[in-house]
Amino acid sequence: MGWVSINTISLWGRYFCFAIAALGIDLIWGYTGILSMCQAFFFCLGSYGIAMHMLLKTSGSALPEFMVWNKVESLPFFWVPFQSFGLTLILCLLIPALLAFIIGYVLFRSRIKGVYMAIITQALALAMWLLFLRNETGLGGTNGLTDFKTLMGLSLSTTYMKLGLYLMSLLLLCVAYFACYRITHSKFGKVLQAIRDSESRVSFTAYKVMDYKLAVFVVAALLAAVGGMLYAPQTGIITPGRMDVKASVEMVMWVALGGRGKLKGAVAGALLVNFLYSICTSLFPDSWLYILGFLFVITVLFFDKGFVGLVDSLFKRKEVTCY
Amino acid sequence: MAATDSTTIFVSQILHDTEKTYAIQQLVARQDPTTFALLNAINSKKLYLLNDQAVTTGEKIPSSNGAASYEIYSLYPKNELLVNRNGQPLHTSIDALTVVEINRADRLLLNGILPILELFSTEPAKRMLAYGQLKNSHAPHRIEMLQMALARETNPDALRAGKDILFAIQLNTTTDAQTAKNYIDSLAENWGDNAPVFLSEYAKSNRVNAAYAAQKALELEHRYDYLQKIQNLFSGLSLGSILILIALGLSIVYGLAGIINMAHGEFLMIGAYTTYCIQTLFTEVLKLPYSDLLFIISLPLSFLVAGLLGLLLERLVVRHLYARPLESLLATWGVSLILIQTARSLFGDLTAVKTPAFLSGGLAVSPHLVLPYNRIFIIGLTALIVLLTYLMLYKTRLGLQIRSVTQNRNMSACLGIDTKRVAALTFFFGSGLAGIAGCAMTLIGNVVPDMGQTYIVDSFLVVVTGGVGKIVGTIVSGLGIGFFTKILEAFFQAVYGKVCILLFIMLFMQYKPKGLFPYKGRLAEE
Repeated sequence: MGWVSINTISLWGRYFCFAIAALGIDLIWGYTGILSMCQAFFFCLGSYGIAMHMLLKTSGSALPEFMVWNKVESLPFFWVPFQSFGLTLILCLLIPALLAFIIGYVLFRSRIKGVYMAIITQALALAMWLLFLRNETGLGGTNGLTDFKTLMGLSLSTTYMKLGLYLMSLLLLCVAYFACYRITHSKFGKVLQAIRDSESRVSFTAYKVMDYKLAVFVVAALLAAVGGMLYAPQTGIITPGRMDVKASVEMVMWVALGGRGKLKGAVAGALLVNFLYSICTSLFPDSWLYILGFLFVITVLFFDKGFVGLVDSLFKRKEVTCY
Repeated sequence: MAATDSTTIFVSQILHDTEKTYAIQQLVARQDPTTFALLNAINSKKLYLLNDQAVTTGEKIPSSNGAASYEIYSLYPKNELLVNRNGQPLHTSIDALTVVEINRADRLLLNGILPILELFSTEPAKRMLAYGQLKNSHAPHRIEMLQMALARETNPDALRAGKDILFAIQLNTTTDAQTAKNYIDSLAENWGDNAPVFLSEYAKSNRVNAAYAAQKALELEHRYDYLQKIQNLFSGLSLGSILILIALGLSIVYGLAGIINMAHGEFLMIGAYTTYCIQTLFTEVLKLPYSDLLFIISLPLSFLVAGLLGLLLERLVVRHLYARPLESLLATWGVSLILIQTARSLFGDLTAVKTPAFLSGGLAVSPHLVLPYNRIFIIGLTALIVLLTYLMLYKTRLGLQIRSVTQNRNMSACLGIDTKRVAALTFFFGSGLAGIAGCAMTLIGNVVPDMGQTYIVDSFLVVVTGGVGKIVGTIVSGLGIGFFTKILEAFFQAVYGKVCILLFIMLFMQYKPKGLFPYKGRLAEE
């Protein structure tokens, strides 16, 4: 590919997927002030859906290999719809949206918020992670799903396919960005921010806070699922490790590092942290957790507005000195 | 007497001659029980001479100076534990014994009577296996042999297992109704591990009193289920008290300062590593003998070390985050990553602490219900700490201040309470409690860098369900979640049990969004 290797391109394609999910987190946490700690779960639902489809297409009429090892004799019923690409796309979006709706409905209805919301969603992520780790849930257990070769009849290993997926991710990131931009600048978005700043007052002015929260929770889950759907074909593997408790907190951290409450911040944070991750793990593998930990602490303590906020304030200071 | 004499001669040949094949063959052919202990020692390659007497080694006795010593059993003509002049069991190091070499071909001669030989093994586990094998063997004198072996049996578990087999064999060979009934009763009374199986097998055969056996088998199963339930409840109590121990500190800190301390689990880890370090320091660096005292002094030291590190964390990070719970959650998560990685670089992936002798084993309420001492200890420790925490919160000046700051920080500050000092002390106390929990956790598991993560989400659930900052809430919900988890685990697998618990909590929060024991009053939410 000339001046950039195809692996680098594929890597950035993955970062874009994370950025899409981060946009969702910014909507729900940055704009609405709800800390959801199970976004990685929705991300993985998308990934697992598309991975199931690709695995079925790769194995053809036979059962996927891991099922043979686990002595599963016939295709589990919930795998059947994933044989068709169209249905897969629909289900990959519908399942996370539906789950988010149910979870959100139950939680918001009883006015669970703040810390309680964070803890319960985190426990939920933990429970789902444990569930996906089991072999008998029919989703590959600890090893996850891997060894898929084609998507829509095209081989995943060719340069053009990788480039295509990269461009697709970039395109969808742009689409998601502008969609979120429109959302945040609409009346709906203003109400979301009002809920963040003072939930009681919003409800006193006869807005149905729960409906708004529920809507944004579902949108965030959808964005995470879209990111996940693009992620699986580009990495070639999806394991429960992507959805553990740590993964969700890290996703929130991308947004915090980039700058919460700013869409630019979410994207910048996701790209920056992941870029840093690939550099650090190759240069000094043991120190990544130290770096990430310090970044967490320093960002929360000193750069409340995140990276983007830092850059903004630098420019502002310049303006001041100009005067 | 002639036979006995020639046996003695053969034994002496085995011990002292170079040509042993004929002597061993003769002893095997005679099947004289008095020689079985000797033959068994040959089979397990543990035949030694001590003062010209045939002996074998029994249990290993760990000793302070490093060289292990063993209990010594004489083999022939009597098989018994040797004692010294004071009547204490004789302990000898292996070097003091002379090995009697028996070559492999000679040892193989014993194969034919091996099942019976094992009946006279010095190891209870082997004897139990041997008893079990007799059930389906066709050795000619198996009942007599078994009775003889049981007459010498000293280990209660092995005795029960042996009687189990004996009664089963006798039951299966009798045809008389009254005798059969007696054996069925004996089987049920003795209640060995296999008794229900033997009884139901017998019930299926068309023999006398089959129906009676079926009834007894059912009765045993019911009793077993009942004991199993008690065992489950006990596990629930133990899990619950661990959760309480962890959640107590968490709850107080959150209630007082609005801090979600994600690194709380890491203070547990620090407490566990403190215990590990103290043990390593004394036994390996200072070369002092291991003693149970080390664990006892580890408890307060874990509290101190974890508490001081907690204080450090409070000074460096947390004090900037008061009343910003969500931000504190993220920052302390970062701290927990750093702490875990530090522990991993310092100590590696897996270490373990030695359980003190007085806490190993268990309280055998009945043969089928053993309550491990370490779990009982943890339950007791939790009770003690809850009591101390209660006294601290409700009977001391600091406790009064803590409660007042928890209720209304600004008002407390107006009344002259140094809220920052109180918050720092609370953080010290909360982290210290986690440290003690960590020290206790070394009793039931390994010490690993991410051990805190296992319980942290669960203990947060305990805090949330119980109501923030309430001791009673923490206790009730901790026990509740512990019990429910173990009870559900009995029906489903652990993972599904966990999912059920979570669903249950989510439903519960529909009715009590502020937990079991919310603060009463008309505080505005924002």
